[in-house]
Amino acid sequence: MSDPILSVRKAVKTYGEFRALDAVDLDIREGEFLTLLGPSGSGKTTLLSAIAGFTALSAGEVHARGSNITRLPPEKRDFAMVFQGYALFPTMTVAENVGYPLRVRKYGRSALQARVRDCLDLVQMGQFADRMPHQLSGGQQQRIALARALSFEPDVLLLDEPLSALDKKLRADLQWELKALHERLGVTFIYVTHDQDEALSMSDRIVILKDGAIQQEGAPGALYDWPRTRFVANFLGKSNFISADVVGQGAEGLTVEAAGQRFTLAPRPGLAPQGPVSLALRPERIRLGAPGQEAFTGRVRQISYLGERCQVLVDHDVLGEVLVSQPTWHAGLRPEPQMDVSFGWGAGACVPLLET
Amino acid sequence: MTRSPLRILFSTGSWAVLAFLVLPILIVIPVSLTDTSFIGLPREHLSLQHFETFLESPKWLHATWTSIWIGAVVAVAATTLGTAFSIGCWFLSDRAAMIARWVMIVPILVPPVVQSLGFYKFWVTLGLIDSHTGVILAHTLLGLPYVTISVFAALANLDRRLPQAARNLGASLGMTIRTVIVPAIRPGMITGGVFAFIVSFDEIVGVLFLTVRRVETLPKMIWEGIQESVDPVIAAVATILVFITLLITLFGMLRSK
Repeated sequence: MSDPILSVRKAVKTYGEFRALDAVDLDIREGEFLTLLGPSGSGKTTLLSAIAGFTALSAGEVHARGSNITRLPPEKRDFAMVFQGYALFPTMTVAENVGYPLRVRKYGRSALQARVRDCLDLVQMGQFADRMPHQLSGGQQQRIALARALSFEPDVLLLDEPLSALDKKLRADLQWELKALHERLGVTFIYVTHDQDEALSMSDRIVILKDGAIQQEGAPGALYDWPRTRFVANFLGKSNFISADVVGQGAEGLTVEAAGQRFTLAPRPGLAPQGPVSLALRPERIRLGAPGQEAFTGRVRQISYLGERCQVLVDHDVLGEVLVSQPTWHAGLRPEPQMDVSFGWGAGACVPLLET
Repeated sequence: MTRSPLRILFSTGSWAVLAFLVLPILIVIPVSLTDTSFIGLPREHLSLQHFETFLESPKWLHATWTSIWIGAVVAVAATTLGTAFSIGCWFLSDRAAMIARWVMIVPILVPPVVQSLGFYKFWVTLGLIDSHTGVILAHTLLGLPYVTISVFAALANLDRRLPQAARNLGASLGMTIRTVIVPAIRPGMITGGVFAFIVSFDEIVGVLFLTVRRVETLPKMIWEGIQESVDPVIAAVATILVFITLLITLFGMLRSK
């Protein structure tokens, strides 16, 4: 692996007693789309702000291409940032906004104008060059902020919840565009969000933060399929949690027992071969059937119709409340509230957690 | 819309208050147009003779000019200092900055006589009595709170991420202030500057304490004129004063739009 373009070492930020960052270590590879994902107060924005140079770390260092930039002021770092709320300069036109980093870098008039035009074309905003920011819609402002950040050809683009103010449909469109832009430009993206869908759909790698510390990091699929902790299993998508006991070692993996039923787990390194184990089970991995058809029996409490999917809450005597998600078009059982049903899952559906 | 008695009472009341505020100012206009040689309402016809007297008097014109240029210098000085102070406080935005802001407002709260007495004692020590510099300094201090109040109002609406964005894009702190912050708060600065000008232009208590003969401002000339004679030229001057003030305010309002 090549040297990281950016690395954060033992970063600590305290505000009085509160530890916003608690010894965070993170390497960012050149050209990757990295997402810092976490609930509010998890330290993700503080971490981004420390990388950008707006927040002085209480301890620890930030290195870029091998040199220590911890004490460098933000204007010397050459990382572009797209802010939440865009922070477009209200007294400048769109073209002046996009050209600002170039003006600061003393570009010649014609070079500046040419570059501004290219950047506006890149985000399909060429015809808006002479507008003022307040004359644009949220989505348009977002694009201008992006063009402004990219105009001086930075190595690293920092994005602080850039889509959070937009409506759902526009957000989905811009997710595709951002991803395409990332692939086209090859710039390293560091993206902060609390929205798991954004994180899953765009990232090469996701870092999940909680209480100022990294909980787990990895590719979206790996994180979704193999959460280490209860928090990750429930923050990235939803999970049911089952307490089980390891009863034996089969050829396929460990055999566990819960609520009187035995089933096999997918193998996972680092798992204790005996004793109690906590399992995460994705709602979409559970099958619903008529009574007697599947291993567990329960009663439907509530149904939530979501268009493409349908979520069903099933009560079970031992397991408690079990959330099942199934496609609406599913030809099988049509659950109704108070209906007696059975449910079960295939081998490997339950993932053992390594920490609780 | 129903016209309840309470509503009528309130609207009558507010018109009465408005009249009480405005009429004393407006009364100087007919008085300035009097055809008599003493202060009073016109007897037989309207006359511009007292305006003529004003325009032909080197003493009055000199005092007017003095007031205008002192006011202009004060406006520039107070706006510069007040804006620098406000931007500094805005960046810090901590407890100390909040206390500093309150201290800055104090000149508005202290009675002018008390303040002028303070200026007098201090200016004597500094050798600034009866000098233009002394008056400008005192007026700048009196104008500062108005500038800080209006500039703070403009800063309060400013997105705190704007300076971050500018610096992230490569601008130094100085450049950020010059190219991003100052243009955004310009309306507040203009309003503050206009207020500082008007404060200086109308100010009399401080001028009476701090000057003897060398500095003659318009309000001081009016004051002295009233004591010596009842020449209606004073009403003409007062009318001009009102119109200059109105014009400057209008200019400020149009520019800050």
